[in-house]
Amino acid sequence: MSVDDQPGLYVESTIIMTTVRVVAPFVLTFALFIMFHGADSPGGGFQGGVIAGSVVMMLAFAYGIDSTRQWLDVRVVAALASGGVLVFAGIGLGSILLGGQFLQYTEYEPFYAEASKYGIELVELGIGGIVASVAIGLFFLLAAGFGHVAGEDEA
Amino acid sequence: MTLSLLEAALIVFVVGCALGAALLKDTLASVISFAAYSLGISIIWLVLQAPDVGLTEAAVGAGIMTILFILALANTVTPDVDRLLESVRWRTVAFVGAFVLVMAATVPALPTIGDPTAPVAGGEVTQYYLANAYTETGVKNAVTAVLAAYRGFDTLGEAVVVFSAGVVALSVLRREVFA
Repeated sequence: MSVDDQPGLYVESTIIMTTVRVVAPFVLTFALFIMFHGADSPGGGFQGGVIAGSVVMMLAFAYGIDSTRQWLDVRVVAALASGGVLVFAGIGLGSILLGGQFLQYTEYEPFYAEASKYGIELVELGIGGIVASVAIGLFFLLAAGFGHVAGEDEA
Repeated sequence: MTLSLLEAALIVFVVGCALGAALLKDTLASVISFAAYSLGISIIWLVLQAPDVGLTEAAVGAGIMTILFILALANTVTPDVDRLLESVRWRTVAFVGAFVLVMAATVPALPTIGDPTAPVAGGEVTQYYLANAYTETGVKNAVTAVLAAYRGFDTLGEAVVVFSAGVVALSVLRREVFA
């Protein structure tokens, strides 16, 4: 049983929809700021990722969970989650291939002078991708529950 | 130890919200009380000058957790609540009280906040990070330097734990896509 099957849970409200439409780009920008600026100020991938994920939850709050589910491209969510792990592990293992230790950013310095700083930014971005997509995923999975699978015998 | 008015108010607020989360009979009220508790804790982290932890607590504890709890509540049947508070078993109270007393007994052993001679602040490792984080990693936030560079392998583990949680939720619910 999906959430939207129950009467009264989703209320279509012009005020909420307009507010979310105006606020969402700012929240997403703030999330990216937290992710990128985590190197120089409080914040980082975990916090920024959660804020980025909450943008989708805001949309679901305003436009209904099922419409947001249909609007969202699941390939993007899956790519963010696995891409984040691949980016982080890739940067870590790449420095071993170059002859250094795991995640030794200085190994990349021959290719790019500020490798350490931007390597850390990339890692934060990868973490942000993982956290945001898993938060979105858990949100939709919890909203759907067991009911969406045909022939489910338990629950 | 002297408390400022703000700190005392925050502690009263947080303890009150924690008691509310534990004792309120209505689950939704309990969830809301828990969210307020998380918000209070995150402000306490800010007051204690741990903004990284405070930001995480606010985003995860007060934000995402509340949404997931409410979503879970919306998908389950909640029984009608006849009274405000949960019935309290005195044996549980005695047990929890004893546990709190044991924990409180360790509080005087903690160093004062901001004490430069505290083992954590004065330790060799901390001093090394504070002295060398910027020159070695190029980032100004020492917390990020430890998280993404010095202790990067641990952080990879944490990130993979989050990823695995998503994958496990998919397989438990027998779905193939995240949305």
